[in-house]
Amino acid sequence: MTTDPTIVVGVKQVPDDDEVRIDPDTGHLDRASAPAVLNPPDRDALEAALSLRDAAGGTVVAVTMGPPTATDVLEEAVAMGCDDAALITDRAFAGSDTWPTSLTLAAAAESLGADVFVCGEETTDSSTGQVPPGIAAHLGWAQVTYAEALEPEFDDGRLVARRDVEGGYEIVAADLPVVVAVAYGEFEPRPAGLHRKLYAETEFEPLELSAEDIGLDDGEVGIGASPTEVGGMETVEPVERERETVEDAAELADALADAGVVG
Amino acid sequence: MSGEKAGAVDPDAYSDVWVFVEEHAGDVMTVSWELLGEARGLADDLGEDLVALVIGEDVDEVAREAVERGADRALVADDPVFEPYRADPYGEQFRALVEDRHPAVVLIGGTHTGRDFAGRVAVPAHAGLTADCTELGVDDDGLLEARRPAFGGNVLATIVCEDHRPQMATVRPGVFAAADRDPDRDGETEQVDVVVDERDTLSEVRERVVGDTADITEADRIVAVGGGCDGDLAPAEELADALDAELAASRKAVDEGWVDGSRQVGQTGKTVRPELYVAVGISGAVQHVEGMNDSEVVVAVNDDPNAPIFEHADYGVVGDLFEVCPALAERLREDGLVDADAEPEAKP
Repeated sequence: MTTDPTIVVGVKQVPDDDEVRIDPDTGHLDRASAPAVLNPPDRDALEAALSLRDAAGGTVVAVTMGPPTATDVLEEAVAMGCDDAALITDRAFAGSDTWPTSLTLAAAAESLGADVFVCGEETTDSSTGQVPPGIAAHLGWAQVTYAEALEPEFDDGRLVARRDVEGGYEIVAADLPVVVAVAYGEFEPRPAGLHRKLYAETEFEPLELSAEDIGLDDGEVGIGASPTEVGGMETVEPVERERETVEDAAELADALADAGVVG
Repeated sequence: MSGEKAGAVDPDAYSDVWVFVEEHAGDVMTVSWELLGEARGLADDLGEDLVALVIGEDVDEVAREAVERGADRALVADDPVFEPYRADPYGEQFRALVEDRHPAVVLIGGTHTGRDFAGRVAVPAHAGLTADCTELGVDDDGLLEARRPAFGGNVLATIVCEDHRPQMATVRPGVFAAADRDPDRDGETEQVDVVVDERDTLSEVRERVVGDTADITEADRIVAVGGGCDGDLAPAEELADALDAELAASRKAVDEGWVDGSRQVGQTGKTVRPELYVAVGISGAVQHVEGMNDSEVVVAVNDDPNAPIFEHADYGVVGDLFEVCPALAERLREDGLVDADAEPEAKP
């Protein structure tokens, strides 16, 4: 039985997908070219967490791992309705791949006393989806990924979720504590209230935690604890297409016949 | 670098290439056979065995099929606790097997279940895990080179993992050809100890409902719908009927709930390579183009002449899809360019 559950939501600041440019010489992402925004799937995660609180009580704490500028996404989370927020920041985290990132967020979840840890299904900048199951594995907790709907049965120590699977869905009942990654597009995020927005921007200060604060050694995180390395980058040459504009359906039918794909 | 990293292991103590065979109630996800085909070549390059990892209940036939499709051995964990799939018992079983057997490479299909499982198992193994690979190779030192599109498909990044084992990767469905079945192929099937007890599990699947599991990666022709359809699939379905094509969708159309996620093309969906790909009302975001770029002939129908999809199409019609699609279907039938009596495809 869980009373006043603590629901922690992991959020991330990412480069705005629509604005990102690629350096034509190196083929690498020019991060400076794009404004930083809240990872869009995380907005759904915030909504899912706030809805859980609406239904079952407790508190919602947004957490992000990043540089001090990542405070911006915590302010957004507070403006949307989160009760509190924590910035996990430390130079020791630099270069972390998904393994130490999940360790860090797992340690943060423990420090904050999470009963439920909610995330978006993936981030738009790396698109691995590995961090939520990684957090659950570090903690030895249950996990539900690609969750489309949530039903708190906290009194019985469970969270019930509908999980998207290829060609259908599953209803999963998971024991608390649990990590949930929500399917993008399934939770319509509520708008930030004007009053909350003002509070988030002027009065609110997030909790700031270092690696040590959440019980991690420098050696356990960052590039030194990351199993993967980027071995190289190649620019992908675009596929050459005819790019022929045809007038109407009749011409298109003829073109397809000429190309040998019909007839 | 070697030995400096936290949790690093001796790579020489690890060998063999494992493929996780994703099975639900006897049905195997095609991507598992695609992985066996690709991994056969990797194992041969490395001079090692190809091992199929089969976890489930009553999976003897699945294990036999894995051998027939190229595995030298199938490791089978067969127990009611594994049906249906749950992350925690599968993860625990896998952890025990890695500790016991030391695989060098582990490949997993990039399905929702595969990504759930892979993310869970890489942590206890302290393994490097590369997501959604589209190419796999082996370098001169025998390291796995896992390549994945990055930055919206503009760049192909190569990820390596020097000091940790196993080297793990998820691979997108549809990227590789499925291994053929050879009923005469010999191989060993080994039952492994089941280390999971139902009483220790953390989750319960109360219901599993799976209907539409159409495999768009196998289709010769595809008609794909996007946001421009506004929820009305009839024109695209009519065209798909005329062309005897499978219906597919952009992420937008899937997120809106118009089309099932199993039919999504793109970075977070499937990679398709049909002879003909007709993009209907799809704007052409890089993430979508990435999934259909290997199509032989691409047609775009969109009323916005500036839609990026036209840059990636062989033939483009700037027009209202609600007029163009039915007109094209009719014209194809009239001109005898398609079989007018073809049975309409079952609606998704």
